Amino acid sequence: MKKLLVYLKGHIKESILGPLLKLLEASFELLVPIVIKSIVDIGIGRADKVYIIKMCLILMLLGVVGMVCSVTAQYFAAKASVGFVTKLRRALFKHISYLSYTEIDTLGTSSMITRMTSDMNQVQTGINLTLRLLLRSPFIVFGAMIMAFTVDAKAAFTFVVAIPALFIVVFTIMLLSIPLYKKVQHRLDRVLNSTRENLMGVRVIRAFRLEEKEIEEFDKRNEELTATQKFVGRISALMNPLTYVIINIAIIWLIHIGAIRVSAGVLTQGAVLALYNYMSQILVELIKFANLIISITKAVASANRISAVLDVKSSLIEKESISQNSGSEYAVEFRHVGLKYKNAGGEALTDINFSVRRGEVVGIIGGTGSGKTSLVNLIPRFYDATSGEVIVDGTNVKDYPLKELRDKIGIVPQKAVLFKGSIRENMRWGNNNATDEEIMEAINMAQAGEIVAQKKDGLDFAIEQGGKNLSGGQRQRFTIARALVKKPEILILDDSASALDFATDAALRKALREMPDNPTLFIVSQRTSSIQFADKIVVLDDGEIAGIGKHDELLETCEVYREIYDSQFKKEEK
Amino acid sequence: MKSQKIQIDTIRKVFQYIKNYRILLSVSVVLAASTVALTLYVPILIGNAIDYIIGPDNVNFEAVAKILVKIAFAVGITSILEWLMHTINNNITYQVVRDIRKKAFRKIEILPLSYIDSHPHGEIVSRVIADTDQFAEGLLMGFTQLFTGVVTIIGTLIFMLTINVKITFIVVVLTPLSLFVANFIAKSTYSMFKLQSETRGEQTSLIEEMIDNVKIVQAFSYQEEVLRKFDEINRRLEKCSLRAVFFSSLTNPLTRFINSLVYAAVALAGAIAVIGGDVGSSMTVGGLSIFLSYANQYTKPFNEISGVITEMQNAIACAGRIFELIEEKPQIPDAEDAIILEKASGNVLFDNVAFSYVSERPLIRNLNLKVEPGQSVAIVGPTGSGKTTVINLLMRFYDVDSGGIKVEGIDIRDITRNSLRENYGMVLQDTWLKSGTIRENITMGKPEATEEEIIAAAKAAHAHSFIKRLEYGYDTVISEEGGSLSQGQKQLLSIARVMLCLPPMLILDEATSSIDTRTEVKIQEAFARLMQGRTSFIVAHRLSTIREADIILVMKDGDIIEQGTHDELLSQKGFYANLYNSQFEQ
Repeated sequence: MKKLLVYLKGHIKESILGPLLKLLEASFELLVPIVIKSIVDIGIGRADKVYIIKMCLILMLLGVVGMVCSVTAQYFAAKASVGFVTKLRRALFKHISYLSYTEIDTLGTSSMITRMTSDMNQVQTGINLTLRLLLRSPFIVFGAMIMAFTVDAKAAFTFVVAIPALFIVVFTIMLLSIPLYKKVQHRLDRVLNSTRENLMGVRVIRAFRLEEKEIEEFDKRNEELTATQKFVGRISALMNPLTYVIINIAIIWLIHIGAIRVSAGVLTQGAVLALYNYMSQILVELIKFANLIISITKAVASANRISAVLDVKSSLIEKESISQNSGSEYAVEFRHVGLKYKNAGGEALTDINFSVRRGEVVGIIGGTGSGKTSLVNLIPRFYDATSGEVIVDGTNVKDYPLKELRDKIGIVPQKAVLFKGSIRENMRWGNNNATDEEIMEAINMAQAGEIVAQKKDGLDFAIEQGGKNLSGGQRQRFTIARALVKKPEILILDDSASALDFATDAALRKALREMPDNPTLFIVSQRTSSIQFADKIVVLDDGEIAGIGKHDELLETCEVYREIYDSQFKKEEK
Repeated sequence: MKSQKIQIDTIRKVFQYIKNYRILLSVSVVLAASTVALTLYVPILIGNAIDYIIGPDNVNFEAVAKILVKIAFAVGITSILEWLMHTINNNITYQVVRDIRKKAFRKIEILPLSYIDSHPHGEIVSRVIADTDQFAEGLLMGFTQLFTGVVTIIGTLIFMLTINVKITFIVVVLTPLSLFVANFIAKSTYSMFKLQSETRGEQTSLIEEMIDNVKIVQAFSYQEEVLRKFDEINRRLEKCSLRAVFFSSLTNPLTRFINSLVYAAVALAGAIAVIGGDVGSSMTVGGLSIFLSYANQYTKPFNEISGVITEMQNAIACAGRIFELIEEKPQIPDAEDAIILEKASGNVLFDNVAFSYVSERPLIRNLNLKVEPGQSVAIVGPTGSGKTTVINLLMRFYDVDSGGIKVEGIDIRDITRNSLRENYGMVLQDTWLKSGTIRENITMGKPEATEEEIIAAAKAAHAHSFIKRLEYGYDTVISEEGGSLSQGQKQLLSIARVMLCLPPMLILDEATSSIDTRTEVKIQEAFARLMQGRTSFIVAHRLSTIREADIILVMKDGDIIEQGTHDELLSQKGFYANLYNSQFEQ
């Protein structure tokens, strides 16, 4: 977590001045009982009205100065905490966007989103509170004790006993209840899961007539939750009464000693009053302090989570130098490539060995989990091959600067994702300078022209987040168009036609084949019909190549291919 | 005005829920009142004690001792009462929450599917979980705070009046200043907070969008562009956050400042009253101490109350959302005299069925279909053409608008839902598994099944071999949505689930993709085994399945446009023929 402090740079002045001003304000507050003491002992004692008025003016002055200090401190704290989090948020966002796929898989996107949002807010609140209050509360507690000593050392020993006792009570209850609150949270999650399951699985639950059983289960979980909540409630309800008792015992003791010492002429009546006031100040601050500790603990936990993400280093080592194009006759070569994902038991790809000439159409087919996506993901170097080499244009992918490599390649991922913004903005992901003509050309090729034509706003049609206002098939066609706008040398379609009906799929394949720049084309599919006419079909089975060749050859020689084909086209046999 | 009426209405309903806890609630109120009174009494006792400690050899030890004992008693009793009060309040709160959740869940179980399908699940869940919590905490805890606050204010006033009217007047006049300031800040920061939360929302949605799809961002090397967008929002957020955070944090210093003014004023007036010996009042140093301690506390309940009121308003809004769910119209219950369908032979008749999800967009019109026992019906058509609608109608997840569906010649609306559904075995494409063990998932329809039956069903569904290979076999716990299982395995499991009950009619939804070929062959075989001798409806994607069906329903845009056997439809050279041929076209 210490590393995060770097982002506090530029706010050092605020981070130091803020707490200092707060302490100054607290010191003024600690002076109040002393002033009151003087009023009682001197003002009232001598019936000196002028003195009383003077002292009360001092009280007001203390108030004014305290407020000025405090307001300035609040400003510094706000400035430092907001500024810090703004920088940290940017740093984390940037960091995440350059992590490699391996790290992204390990961290998980939803947890990264939480780091970016709620953890950040938690940290901001934590820092703000820390700068404002962390020093102040203990300062008042101990300051009150020290001031008590200046009033009367003997009576002040009451503070020495009472403060630790209060600390023990407050922190014991906190320590007891924090794990219990976690348990409550866990039980609440179970209730939540029951609820969610009954919505998600409503068809199955009703089809199997499980409603009664589900109600029973929900009730059980609900009761468990309530029981735990009540238990925690009983414990945390102890906090106020116990601290109240301790403080008042201390006050009783103070008055008792005070009475003896006043009688003996060592103390004055005003001094007893001052001691009583100091004791009262402590309680308020201690409770504040306990709450502060809870918030800070949360903030520290958040900060640690953020820090953990920042510590993750991208496992892709990028070459800076621009590679030399050797002008190889092959667009892509796989040389005995193996891939093992981090934390996976076995290899996802084993000894993949084949090469693709420029302009060839390559079909990649196989069942789920056979490694089709893994294979194409190696070309833009989303992952690094764990053995062997992937060569693009005669150069190992590891020797390219990432951007240069990826600029050559257009990829259409399985998940058809579009971003909030107009169609035009989405298409420009492929090429920031694309003209409307170029965009329309790509869209038409991707069989999406008719969709644009239907929209009143044409290319300005606003796509909602995630492309929610388009159907799956429409989204898929736009993601294809987006890759085409790039005019890539290598185009990869990763099972990107699954939501298209057969007719559109066929038209799309026809258009791709007739593309003017004649890019090298990889088509990943589960349907033999989509790849049947490829120049080269790579059949994958459990991460290994089960066959390479043209459709007819494979039907003859490759059992896996035939099996896939048969499951989809039994027609010919009959 | 209208919203006020709704609020009052909601509050009335809230009282319904706390009715059962009337006695506890009144005990809590009494406890709160006594606690407050005692708490306020203690400073008076202390003040009195101080009055007996005047100076050297001028201390009434006897009187001081008496008072100290009184203080001890008062403090002891207060703390016990306070603990009891908190505990009772907690119990009431948590039990009310429990009762509400119970009701809400029971409602979920009988809500019509149309409601569940058309409302985001997250939103319903948040009503049951978050809103309920917030309601309970805001309203019940708020109520106690409000109550103690009011009692404290009144109590303090009375106690102060008994000691000195003039000084009381100073306190009463000056303290509202701090309320005014707090209120002013709250009002003027409202728009800043609104701007902050809007900007934050904007940023969050960008973060979600980009991080969710960070792989695509990278594939297009689009990081810099995205970062530029992010920075722009981030800068705006910094600005408006700073304003919101700073201005809202002014409340504390400012109210404290006003407090210190009040304090000084009380000290001044009090001290002068002590010396001056005002006519009619006997102000003492002890009295001054009481006033000082009250002056310190007097504003607190005011500040709390203003906070509590916003909380409570929010709580009422939450309660409104929960009640809306609880009072949602349930599905039409089974008729009193509904028939319990015994084992059906598999006669299904669609008689002039019309149906639509939204009334202005008619979906199915005049659907007539007669299915004999043992026949299989394939439903085909492009995605989004409404194939699953037929499943919804058969299972009576939705009711037809007009016409009727008859099973064994009986309209399904005259049959109990449970017995109708018992006669169907359903395997959906997006397989849903319950978090629990594999065994629990298989025995869903037949909890009393023996181990042999379970294994036999799993074997018939080709699921046994992969289950066996799992670490804990049939006792493997699968997390929500099946987590570690592949899509194909999940589907095999849900086939096993149906295999165990072997109902006379089937509804099958073929998976479109993401199942590997080997598993797919197994699923096909399992389906075929299930279908033997049973009436079955299949949402079909595979030509082999389609070709072998007795009846093919071709759907497009929600309409059944063609109906017949494979050969009949091919010879019609219509939509089906087109669809079928396009697969082979190059």
